[in-house]
Amino acid sequence: MSKDIERQVEEQAEVWSGIALSNAASHDFARGLAETVRGFERARGQLVFEDEPSSFEAALQETKERER
Amino acid sequence: MTAIKECEALTHLTLTQASDAVRNGEVTSVALTKAALDAFKIGNATINASIALDPEEALETAEGLDKLRKVGRLLGPLHGVPLAHKDMYYRAGKPCTCGSKIRLPFRPTYTATAIKRLEEAGSITIGSLNMAEFAQNPTGHNAHFGDCHNPWHVDHCTGGSSSGSGAAVAARFIYGALGSDTGGSIRLPASMCGVTGIKGTQTRVSRFGAMPLSFSADNVGPLARTARDCARLMRIIAGHDLSDPTSSTEPVSNYEAALDGDVRGLRIGIATNFFFDGVDSEVLTAFDVAMNVLEARGGKIVRLEVPHIDAVNTYASVLSRVEGATIHAQWMRERPEDYSVHLAGRLYAGYAIPAVYYVEALSRRGPILRALGKDVFGKVDVFATPTIRMKVPTLAATDIDAGAPGAIEAFGAISANTRAINYMGLPSVSVPCGFDSKGLPIGFQIQGRPFAEAKVLKVADAYQRDTNWHERSPILDS
Repeated sequence: MSKDIERQVEEQAEVWSGIALSNAASHDFARGLAETVRGFERARGQLVFEDEPSSFEAALQETKERER
Repeated sequence: MTAIKECEALTHLTLTQASDAVRNGEVTSVALTKAALDAFKIGNATINASIALDPEEALETAEGLDKLRKVGRLLGPLHGVPLAHKDMYYRAGKPCTCGSKIRLPFRPTYTATAIKRLEEAGSITIGSLNMAEFAQNPTGHNAHFGDCHNPWHVDHCTGGSSSGSGAAVAARFIYGALGSDTGGSIRLPASMCGVTGIKGTQTRVSRFGAMPLSFSADNVGPLARTARDCARLMRIIAGHDLSDPTSSTEPVSNYEAALDGDVRGLRIGIATNFFFDGVDSEVLTAFDVAMNVLEARGGKIVRLEVPHIDAVNTYASVLSRVEGATIHAQWMRERPEDYSVHLAGRLYAGYAIPAVYYVEALSRRGPILRALGKDVFGKVDVFATPTIRMKVPTLAATDIDAGAPGAIEAFGAISANTRAINYMGLPSVSVPCGFDSKGLPIGFQIQGRPFAEAKVLKVADAYQRDTNWHERSPILDS
């Protein structure tokens, strides 16, 4: 997985953004994305998409502090 | 009294004491400004908290403010108080480096709303403060302007990214400073330097004229010595701004007036999941004692689980990385060598995160906040956690550019408790609550519902009425 993801990051950054970089930290941060992928896998099925847009701003209003 | 003693006597005032003293005619703005400039002159070589000071303009402004006061005119609640700010707030015609080599030639043509509001309230901007390059590290390292050093122990991190803001306030150079907070960048230096710092609800403070890092999670906020100081600064900078359509139209209350010390019956949540995973024993002890202080004041401790916290962490990391990578794409293509090693590396990974992940992270913010409203704020008024789970690390142990083993993991671990709060969009204040066995500060953070800035500051102030951690000051080796 770690080898794969390093190579994938390299390809994606080059193909989609035209960015090439090779330093030790870039390889380490690229490998770190493997944990992000696992995080998304764990989150699957826990939450569903909402029908309405702008849900975060609406949620700020819905859950806000109100004077007692 | 010697010059140094006189300077110390003034710089050891809190922001509210200093502004009240100017208002009452007990001290001049020129005297406060000179004291602040002298404090930088005496101690800054030790901690490297500033990037650029402007003594002549500051003193000229102070003289003008003193003249106004003499004729009975006060500009506002900060009349004559010198401040300095993280070097990412635009001031028309002034250099604004954003802590970077890339932005060295940058001269903004307009002034940030937060700075404008502070100056309209009578404050004097005496200069700009050190920061992490483009506000993107949690430690205080800076390859271009030199690392910022913790005034309590110079081998240690200040926390970042508002490193100079935390260090300068802690070292008694300045009464207060703007920082910014996208994943903890106000609260981490507040905690590591032993000062108080607040980020408001997402959208609470205008971001016009503030260097962008992550559109969804950036916050403008103050660091100062006390919750009362922060309340005064926050009231001035908060509120809708036509120049920033994303800023909230929610009314701003008088946060300072809410500081009555009364937390009787207030339900204070302590999370049973995530926020204490692997916490250092000295940090845990300081946190527990802090909760005892609030309990003794009449607060009710409630233990509860924070929902979806694993997902929150995953989503939070994606938001800031993708948005940061987007902002920096042109420079990353054209001049990657002008970034520090760790920042170029961090940004680089952002170009490979799929858009569907980014949209998922954005779209689930609302449902997660609603779950939090029900499962947490249905049971408690605020919840508290350690700001950082570990003791303040050394600069050497967290130096990614020097190849320190485990430094990348340390970057993530430092901001584990703060980053999650940015994703949720909650107001959060970090308060000093002790020192570790090496004499470095420990802090805890208090979160409330959206737009509960008054409440989190009230709890912080109540705690500071019974403790004196915020009154202690470091002795600099000059």
